[in-house]
Amino acid sequence: MDQNNSLPPYAQGLASPQGAMTPGIPIFSPMMPYGTGLTPQPIQSTNSLSILEEQRQQQQQQQQQQQQQQQQQQQQQQQQQQQAAAAAAQQSASQQAPPGAAGQTPQLFHSQTLTTAPLPGTTPLYPSPMTPMTPITPATPASESSGIVPQLQNIVSTVNLGCKLDLKTIALRARNAEYNPKRFAAVIMRIREPRTTALIFSSGKMVCTGAKSEEQSRLAARKYARVVQKLGFPAKFLDFKIQNMVGSCDVKFPIRLEGLVLTHQQFSSYEPELFPGLIYRMIKPRIVLLIFVSGKVVLTGAKVRAEIYEAFENIYPILKGFRKTT
Amino acid sequence: MPGGRRCPDCDSTELVEDSHYSQSQLVCSDCGCVITEGVLTTTFADEGHLREVTYSQSTGENEQVSRSQQRGLRRVRDLCRVLQLPSTFEDTAVAYYQQAYRHSGIRAARLQKKEVLVGCCVLITCRQHNWPLTMGTICTLIYADLDVFSGTYMQIVKLLGLDVPSLCLADLVKTYCSSFRLFQASPSVPAKYVEDKEKMLSRTLQLVELANETWLVTGRHPLPVITAATFLAWQSLQPSGRLTCSLARFCKLANVDLPYPATSRLQELLAVLLQMAEQLAWLQILKLNKRSVVKHIGDLLQHRHTLVRKAFRDGTAEMEACEREVQGQRQGEEEVGDSSLDLPVRKRPASPALLLPPCMLKPPKQLRPTPPVCTVTGDENISDSEIEQYLRTPEEVRDFQRAQAAGQAAKSLPNP
Repeated sequence: MDQNNSLPPYAQGLASPQGAMTPGIPIFSPMMPYGTGLTPQPIQSTNSLSILEEQRQQQQQQQQQQQQQQQQQQQQQQQQQQQAAAAAAQQSASQQAPPGAAGQTPQLFHSQTLTTAPLPGTTPLYPSPMTPMTPITPATPASESSGIVPQLQNIVSTVNLGCKLDLKTIALRARNAEYNPKRFAAVIMRIREPRTTALIFSSGKMVCTGAKSEEQSRLAARKYARVVQKLGFPAKFLDFKIQNMVGSCDVKFPIRLEGLVLTHQQFSSYEPELFPGLIYRMIKPRIVLLIFVSGKVVLTGAKVRAEIYEAFENIYPILKGFRKTT
Repeated sequence: MPGGRRCPDCDSTELVEDSHYSQSQLVCSDCGCVITEGVLTTTFADEGHLREVTYSQSTGENEQVSRSQQRGLRRVRDLCRVLQLPSTFEDTAVAYYQQAYRHSGIRAARLQKKEVLVGCCVLITCRQHNWPLTMGTICTLIYADLDVFSGTYMQIVKLLGLDVPSLCLADLVKTYCSSFRLFQASPSVPAKYVEDKEKMLSRTLQLVELANETWLVTGRHPLPVITAATFLAWQSLQPSGRLTCSLARFCKLANVDLPYPATSRLQELLAVLLQMAEQLAWLQILKLNKRSVVKHIGDLLQHRHTLVRKAFRDGTAEMEACEREVQGQRQGEEEVGDSSLDLPVRKRPASPALLLPPCMLKPPKQLRPTPPVCTVTGDENISDSEIEQYLRTPEEVRDFQRAQAAGQAAKSLPNP
């Protein structure tokens, strides 16, 4: 089994004519940029060079021909990198994107991970990483989206009621409140619609959790404030802020987590002895993803909904690259 | 010499800046007359201008190695010696410990955490040199809980920005298998259970590789898989005498702890082997079950690559082919001839199983039906009645208070 050159024959044949425009033959096919599973996909670092890359990509999306040429060149670059040695590949690809600034990795041990084969005397079960450190951003057109939309599962928000509260009174006169000062210094209140839970502190600050959308969270927080108002406190509704949003989705194919941690080691943490999922800390947007072998992905750490969607669109091409097992 | 000043007594110009203890004085070196004195006490305003010396600077605690750090470094060296690690590992682990100690969060941490940090530094060093050491081993040696260990480990990896490679499965198999006490006859190990180490190692490696290929290893703790593979390898090398021995008894004989998930890993591995056996013509007629397939593991492993390919339908390839068809229809107008370059959808009979991780093969859980998506703006009117339902009536409050008082009274009564 030839693991390192898993591009199908037709794609390789297309790549050879340099710069040639062959109309009628689709240069872009969904499989081609991701066929090798080696190309680390767009994890944009916060470096200004990558912002320029983004702008360049957007311009290209309006002009299809330039885009196709770009992909052909990238195809060749990918192939050249496959054949070059790992160290040389790192240097040659550096002009595409700078090495991730986040990697404060001791260089001493890089070569270990690159050359470690999973088991002796066998073909590697997943492609060995040739260009792990330099995320190459292929020019994906706008139409190439995953078609999967992450669902929001939980929103955490805070609001300031603006007055000191007597938690004992609240716990006594409200039906839906529990208060155990020895265990936790706040009243835990629940309402049925929207189904949420709130922690109300004596300083007047409140945390509202469990809503499935930003508007629901705001409505729930207002209902809690109204309950506190009716209990006789001069409650206001100040500084409502969404602190955290959690979303989840399913890509519906299994993922080789060991391969993903090898090629994206500066972002990933995979410890099967501790947790069955891979923890991927994306830099832009600043989101933490939990990726599981079943293809389910949990995204958390967002302040706005768009960050979750953007993070998923960034990770989806990477995950597709680890789909092939043979 | 300060220019121009003369001693008022002897008119000499030899004036020296001398300090009497902490008081600076200007003294004539001829007659000893004190011309000017420095201030002994300082006012509040003066002190405000002085640079104050912090406690940590005056005691030099940041330059010295504190006693708890010394203890920690000694523990690191001891742990490395107990594990019989090469001497270079010791230096690396000590360096990591010192590096961690420079962070204030670690310096101020509890002693329990510092003890666990010793284990973390040794583990990171071993991982970076591909020395197979599991977290379970370290936790046993430092008497720590895995939860505490995991928290400290993740924190220190993030704090020091380290790149820790994954556990090397092949090396772990070799080390773990070598610890099984089955290679020599002893009072507890009958002769028919003794096995040759090399044969068992090579077969275990092949079985672990098979498990890895068929999604039994990803996302799971590696050790139970290796235990199950070792057991199967040992059984299959001499099935006649060993089929009656159970996994638990095997581990007891070999003087190795049986990890809890090993039984289910064993069942999964046997199911994979049964699927493969169905592809071999001479085994199809035998109608094997999970016990009898052990006798043929040797044959199955010999042809494992072909058998896995034939026995399992690549679930992902089928899904991808369907997806490409859909996309081909969508992009039909833009790129002519897209469909002609599609890979032909593999025509496989429905019988081969899907090659998927076990969690994807189980029937999907009955999810709670998602509530109907109602558009909420967040600024709707909140009716009073809705809020009233969450407030107690005055009678309820009275009853509740009475019940609370009765409960308190009952608690304070002495037991009869």
